[in-house]
Amino acid sequence: MTTIRRFCCNDLLRFTSVNLDHLTETFNMSFYMTYLARWPDYFHVAEAPGNRITGYIMGKVEGQGECWHGHVTAVTVAPEYRRQQLAKKLMNLLEDISDKIDKAYFVDLFVRASNTPAIKMYEKLGYVIYRRVLRYYSGEEDGLDMRKALSRDVEKKSIIPLKRPITPDELEYD
Amino acid sequence: MASKFGLAGGIPERRVRPIWDAIDSRQFKNALKQSTTLLSKFPNSPYALALKALILERMGKPDEALTVCLSAKDLLYKNDSVLMDDLTLSTLQIVFQRLDHLDLATSCYEYACGKFPNNLELMMGLFNCYVREYSFVKQQQTAIKMYKLVGEERFLLWAICSIQLQVFCGNGGEKLLLLAEGLIKKHVASHSLHEPEALIVYISVLEQQAKYGDALEILSGKLGSLLMIEVDKLRIQGRLLARAGDYAAAASIFQKILELCPDDWECFLHYLGCLLEDDSNWSNGVLNDPIHPPKFIDCKLSHLADEVFDSCMSNAVAFIQKLQADTSNNILRGPYLANLEVERRKHLYGKGDDDKIMEALMQYFFRFGHLACFTSDVEVFLEVLTHDKKTEFLEKLMKNSESNSAVPTKELGKSITLLKVQELIGKMYRLPKNELEGSAVQMVEMYCKNLPLSKDLDPQESMHGEELLSMVCNILVQLFWRTGDLGYFVEAIMVLEFGLSIRRFVWQYKILLLHLYSHMGALSLAYEWYKSLDVKNILMESVSHHILPQMLASPLWVDLNNLLKDYLKFMDDHFRESADLTFLAYRHRNYSKVIEFVQFKERLQHSNQYLVARVEAPILQLKKNADNVEEAECVLDSLKCGIHFLELSNEIGSKSLTFNEDLQARPWWTPTSEKNYLLGPFEGISYCPRENLTKEREANLRRVIERKSLLPRMVYLSIQSASTLLKENIEVNGSVSDPKISSELKFLLERYAKLLGLSLSDAIEVVVGVSSGLKPSSAIAPDLIDWLNFAVFLNAWNLSSHELAQPDGEGHRPGTWDIVDSLLEKYISEVVRSINPIICAPWIDLPILVQLVTEPLAWHSLVLQSCVRSSLPSGKKKKKGGLDLSNSPLTHVIRESIQSLYGTVEGVMKWLREQIKRPEDENLETILSFVQKTGQNEGPGQVFKILETYVSSVNDAELGERISEAVKSWSPADVARKIITGKCTVLSEFLKICESKFKSLKTLKQQISQV
Repeated sequence: MTTIRRFCCNDLLRFTSVNLDHLTETFNMSFYMTYLARWPDYFHVAEAPGNRITGYIMGKVEGQGECWHGHVTAVTVAPEYRRQQLAKKLMNLLEDISDKIDKAYFVDLFVRASNTPAIKMYEKLGYVIYRRVLRYYSGEEDGLDMRKALSRDVEKKSIIPLKRPITPDELEYD
Repeated sequence: MASKFGLAGGIPERRVRPIWDAIDSRQFKNALKQSTTLLSKFPNSPYALALKALILERMGKPDEALTVCLSAKDLLYKNDSVLMDDLTLSTLQIVFQRLDHLDLATSCYEYACGKFPNNLELMMGLFNCYVREYSFVKQQQTAIKMYKLVGEERFLLWAICSIQLQVFCGNGGEKLLLLAEGLIKKHVASHSLHEPEALIVYISVLEQQAKYGDALEILSGKLGSLLMIEVDKLRIQGRLLARAGDYAAAASIFQKILELCPDDWECFLHYLGCLLEDDSNWSNGVLNDPIHPPKFIDCKLSHLADEVFDSCMSNAVAFIQKLQADTSNNILRGPYLANLEVERRKHLYGKGDDDKIMEALMQYFFRFGHLACFTSDVEVFLEVLTHDKKTEFLEKLMKNSESNSAVPTKELGKSITLLKVQELIGKMYRLPKNELEGSAVQMVEMYCKNLPLSKDLDPQESMHGEELLSMVCNILVQLFWRTGDLGYFVEAIMVLEFGLSIRRFVWQYKILLLHLYSHMGALSLAYEWYKSLDVKNILMESVSHHILPQMLASPLWVDLNNLLKDYLKFMDDHFRESADLTFLAYRHRNYSKVIEFVQFKERLQHSNQYLVARVEAPILQLKKNADNVEEAECVLDSLKCGIHFLELSNEIGSKSLTFNEDLQARPWWTPTSEKNYLLGPFEGISYCPRENLTKEREANLRRVIERKSLLPRMVYLSIQSASTLLKENIEVNGSVSDPKISSELKFLLERYAKLLGLSLSDAIEVVVGVSSGLKPSSAIAPDLIDWLNFAVFLNAWNLSSHELAQPDGEGHRPGTWDIVDSLLEKYISEVVRSINPIICAPWIDLPILVQLVTEPLAWHSLVLQSCVRSSLPSGKKKKKGGLDLSNSPLTHVIRESIQSLYGTVEGVMKWLREQIKRPEDENLETILSFVQKTGQNEGPGQVFKILETYVSSVNDAELGERISEAVKSWSPADVARKIITGKCTVLSEFLKICESKFKSLKTLKQQISQV
């Protein structure tokens, strides 16, 4: 029982119980607002009865040519609403928009190599580890770049894992 | 930055690039050197100058930067041959903006656009300037010009948004919307629309004029295909139909959405609302506060005839059954909760059946009872039942929950739900003391017993049963409130600390603890826990309320300063950058975000907390510097002698305040920062609705801000008023101090008195009465600090105005000096006496003591310093023979006042030292003795006993190494030591403040004795 709708600025004042969780980062304002200003279709919030915010997803679409892809920047669910497939719903929504509206080739995301529960969840949702990015998180922890191919990538080329890990400066930015 | 290359003012790119590279890599010295070389080659290039200005600004030389910018601007204006390109202008714009001179940037662009009227790039730059200045009308005019020039859809929509901004955020009338509509219509006729956002704006313009039919027609027409997500389109359609009053059609649209998204709760409520022709969701009246939407869905009593109502409800039930049958996914709660909503509506209509509601609740429990969100899901439905029915439901629940589930985590979940329902319906708090204790014991046992379930969880993941300890804490605090027994209070702390030693990330525990420590007076410890919440960015606006009010009345000035500084920086940074983000939304054609961003900025600007922080930050600086009148004057100088805040105080009455705090996570005993049940006697059950608190708070806070923002000016005037006192008396007999000061101070005193609810003369009567003992001291207790401030400023005013009787007159009234001295002495010593010396007792009055010393006493000492300074020989002028002041009545009262303050501060210091020097062992024993009560089977300590036993017999194999190590690491003695250190830190900080005052008063004593 979740209403999923576009995230709006006022939600920034209402997502406290989600963001006080230590694994959820609270970014600066221009970060959130840049996402809202540029990719409002990729920023959704889930609400439970009583208007409680239970989780949200933020992402974007970017890349050139066959690297045109949706990206999950953050997805989070409040502890008391976990284990109800809410993250899956939010992820599916973003995948749908990347696939149907923006005709992207794949969706990707980064996760801490140590965050086993999250990696397992993404694998369940169909993501594969595409490559390892060395010392991606503050120059310390490695990140895993996980991907899921969309319908436009018929041959699933985008998700063939790379053989060797890369360094952050090898990442392609737009 | 580096991407903005090209020929700028005729300068080849290869010459500019190294400068940008140096700037980007923050090598400003190098950049400056290169820019000087560049300027020697191109001395008349505004771009070269703009670059130099930019570098200077980055180097922290704003004045030089501004000068260079202005000369670039002059060049642009003077020299017709100069190329005027966007690169030059936007570089200048960046610098002007950083120097807070948006107006200069705008005028550059205005000039350029005047000179090259058809340059689109420059016009966009100008539009951007107006966005930054929030000049909606000029934005509209510029956008229209661009639209006329190139005919592009986006510029038309920029204009439309600017019109909507005038209507919703400016003072444009709603008639403007008609103009907007006309503009779009004309464009659609010739060019159609191509962006989904453009369509959304078009529909919003129609909707805002209540032209729902027109909007629907457009949506279902060709343009509707711009919206590619079917559900999005249906949602708009449903909303428009409902607003137009076509409920039947709306209901069928919402039905369609539910078939696509069966779990969409909001949509279900719309569906049901439309069936019942309930317009409360759709009326354009006063919108609910978007930050604190009501927990309980607003709905009107249905006006439908009986049989119509019945048929609607049976339709709904049939539809719900279909939804339930269609969804194979049994995790979806929506279709099942829907049954409850139907029963609730029937109840509201007067056709309710409590048994059916209970049955539906039971069904929901069987399915979802193990979920942590069960209680919050059903809260609104339980509310419908009478108290007896609630109890009946609870009993039923208990009876039916005994069946053992195969999955232990689910079993635990259900047990917790049962306890939470008891808490929710208030049953818990009606229990007799021993049963309540029993519940707490049961919860802790349940927590410990189920710890092994979390054995294999990732250490970061929340553990099973974590909520139990929060509930135990709630009960123990309740018991403390009922009995006044400190043991329960200490026990609550121990339980939470225990939970945090097992998993240190549980923010719910941290918030409870920080409030417990605050109440206890161990504020430094509370602040430690607050810091561990990592509250940053926008959370500072919604979460700081947990700590900020306590910090404002504390001696922890360094921490308070950081708190205020970080918060104000965050807010001010946002205000500065918000317009640029708005422009980003324009550029990316997400028009609906434009209005949202502007409204959000306004919401934050009107934040009550922001206004409080803005006033409190300079007051803190004054407090910090109050022991040295010269330094205090420097602070006042930087505040333009308090004039700014006077303006704020004048405006506040007409300003609408916003409340952005998230109060949900506050503990039951302090639902808002102004309310703390534990300060008063036990009042029975602890349920306080968190909603509708805003109105009360608003009036109260308005008064607080209005009063506080008078302070800097009143302090300034008081110092001034005293500044010539003794000097005058040497040279002239009588007062020659600036009469303006005296009349302004009187005016402000009148306002201050009014804010205390009285006229000036009545307020004077009150302070006279209380100080002479004719009125009870309780007469001013609720606003004690404000009353004492009033007395201090009253005395200062009387120094120059002499309107009130002098102490040496024959009057029966005491002089104003005496009033101040006796009030300070009386209240400070009273508070010191009232503080319970036990180390773990709540030191409720400590914040009052701190405020007494750091506010009225400090302001009075500034007055004294100013007086004494006026008697000192200044500069070359030597003290002339003149009159001998040493025996004048004035010198006498000043001397006495200094002596009185000196004694008062000394008393406080003595008390503080006594507390601090108490041996740690003794304190430690005291704290632990409250919870370690061997041999007793009731009273505080029961929960603690279970924890101690558990820790001593922990089973490593069962718990896994990580958890069992964590359990063993909990040490009650360490917690007790932390409490002691926490309290002593606060006391030591306060002692430092007092010592500094003491020293300053000692110097004053010496100086006055030489007069």
